[in-house]
Amino acid sequence: MDAVRRELRGVFIALVLVAATALVSFLLIRYLDVRRGSVIFLLPVLLAGWHLGLIPALVAAVAGVLWSGYFFFSPYYTYYLSRPNEILNLVLFMIVAVVVSHLANSMKRHTELARKRENEVSDLYTFSRRLAAAHSADEIYTAIEEHLASLVRRKVVLFGAATGRDGRSTPDEKAVPERVRAEVARAHSTLGTTVDDGTGNIWLVRRVSQKTADFGVIAIDLGSVPADAVADVRQRVDDVLSDATATLERLDVARALNDAKMRSETELLREALIGSVSHELRTPLASILGSATVLTQSPTIAKDERLMSLASVVRDEAERLNSDIQNLLDATRISRQQIKPRQEWIEPQDIVNSALGRRRRRLAGHNVSLDMDSNLPFVYVDPVLVEQAFVQIVDNAAKYSPAGSAITVAAKRNGHDVVLSVNDKGIGLTGEEQAQLGERFFRGARYAAVTSGSGLGLWIAKAFVGANGGKIEAMSSGADQGSTVSIHLPFATPDSQPGMGPDD
Amino acid sequence: MTEADPVVLVVDDEAQIRRFLRAGLELDGFAVQDAETGADALRWATLKPPDLVILDLGLPDMDGGEVLERLRAWSSVPLIVLSVRSNEAEKVRLLESGADDYVVKPFGMAELLARAHAAMRRQARVSTGEPVVKVGPIAIDLAARIVTNDGVRITLTPKEYRLLQILAQHAGNVVTHQYLLKEIWGGPHVHDTHYLRIFVRKLRQKIEADPTQPRILLTELGVGYRLVVPEPSNNASVN
Repeated sequence: MDAVRRELRGVFIALVLVAATALVSFLLIRYLDVRRGSVIFLLPVLLAGWHLGLIPALVAAVAGVLWSGYFFFSPYYTYYLSRPNEILNLVLFMIVAVVVSHLANSMKRHTELARKRENEVSDLYTFSRRLAAAHSADEIYTAIEEHLASLVRRKVVLFGAATGRDGRSTPDEKAVPERVRAEVARAHSTLGTTVDDGTGNIWLVRRVSQKTADFGVIAIDLGSVPADAVADVRQRVDDVLSDATATLERLDVARALNDAKMRSETELLREALIGSVSHELRTPLASILGSATVLTQSPTIAKDERLMSLASVVRDEAERLNSDIQNLLDATRISRQQIKPRQEWIEPQDIVNSALGRRRRRLAGHNVSLDMDSNLPFVYVDPVLVEQAFVQIVDNAAKYSPAGSAITVAAKRNGHDVVLSVNDKGIGLTGEEQAQLGERFFRGARYAAVTSGSGLGLWIAKAFVGANGGKIEAMSSGADQGSTVSIHLPFATPDSQPGMGPDD
Repeated sequence: MTEADPVVLVVDDEAQIRRFLRAGLELDGFAVQDAETGADALRWATLKPPDLVILDLGLPDMDGGEVLERLRAWSSVPLIVLSVRSNEAEKVRLLESGADDYVVKPFGMAELLARAHAAMRRQARVSTGEPVVKVGPIAIDLAARIVTNDGVRITLTPKEYRLLQILAQHAGNVVTHQYLLKEIWGGPHVHDTHYLRIFVRKLRQKIEADPTQPRILLTELGVGYRLVVPEPSNNASVN
């Protein structure tokens, strides 16, 4: 019905155009005495052909012929023609008009098609640029979804094949009816179909790619449309999808999506494992360590030196295990970016003394000396994090230097930094080791076989100090020349040092 | 175990932890009463008022903090919390709601005993009115407001004395920044920890042999300060 009404409207406008032309012709003849102006009636034909379609153009042509006969062929002002050559003239005019109207119409269609094509290509280009810049599967899905939505101009919901950490595989649960979701689940193994959601709304469900389910499944809400319209939309969607899949394949998105899926799954698994293992290990460890300390204090055991040393071994190793577990937990916290410093003004020596206090027993076998300036400026840091970093450095010094050797711990002012350092006479660092030091899991190859460790310690220390705006430096003259590892903490200028509280 | 032995209520849901705590505490001369749950703990605390409570935070039926608050509603029994590491904010919260001290799991028995004895001594000082607290060579006479170092009187400003006085009243146990700031400077300054840092530095210069390596006034990073009292017991040297 709409089509007929549109045609009728076109015909009406065409007739109005012809009538207007007739009026112009009348005025031309009347005031300028133009007698060879029948070509003017091609104008409404052209306009109708361009804007209104073929049928209005033909109507305009017929009407134009009649009006030319009326105005420009004798006897004038009648529709009656007297000479045969004038009839021929009119027939020629008729043919030209029909051809022109046809040409105008088809040119118009071509132009429109070309413009549409251009838009589509530019959309696709934007889309592929977005894909290329996408860092995550989520971004890729969003790009696909929005691209399809803009092309089909319907509500499009994309169900990813990869199950992201944020549950991307089931987007907008509420927006998609149950029956459609069931169909989507099935579509991972079939190519897709249409489904009625129960309220008369038709949803088109298609796999994005015909070859693989990796790109997911889309569901498009078509509203209540007749079956033939569905077929039409499906054709358009399939066209779009085949373009999109070609782009996706070219960009190797399938692999990217799979990688993202694998990455997030392994990461999750690893973190869950570390979290639960650490917790599960810590509980019995608390019992072991506690029991060992009760044993080392019991008078019965104290009487027997051998038993005493065994109990001490249990205690010391349990403590070491505990700090290893703490390292794992800290490493997990760092990778999850859960380090949030609670900064406050603190006396730098307090950090050093606290760290040394915690490692008193481990340092007992070394000759530790302290060299601390008495009036160091306060630093504004999270003291607990910096202390943990310093403990790591102290641990390394104790671990990589021979028993009985000297360890010098210093706290000094150096320019605008407060420097907390640990110097040992141990294995030192080669140039290469110095460069790699502090990388996650880095352990010097020279002593990897004879000392245990995870290679996490200094990496954690760097992260903790970095979170407080400081840095860690390691210096050594070379292998077996000992080393100095230092934490540099910036302090503000004297004016911004904390002011004295209201005194007496 | 005799009637005169001090009673300690151990609240922890882990059987192995309770086991070594019992052994260690009994060796130290305590009579031990176990509780596995918060409800159990509160019942025992009323039935047989203990001289010391050791409270784990992870209980199956209620939060350890809740047990602490309900206990503190009617009892000032010395109480040590068993806490997990890396949570200074929680330690501070528990100390503010009335715990005398904490030890971090896993911990050594000596550390726990030192904290427990300090908390019990404070309780005893309150009831007997003993005025002098001795920390190494330093003697703080809380009644006469006199501080001496090896018998030589030290001059302190009123605020320095107030700081030392509060720490001495809690000798051996940690005192939070917030508590010190509130007591010395008043409510509006509870977050100005740098006031404390400056006064502690000055105080250390007067009472410590080497202020850069304090032996008397120790810093508990992220929590507060502690005045160290040498453990009188023979086991003190073994950690």
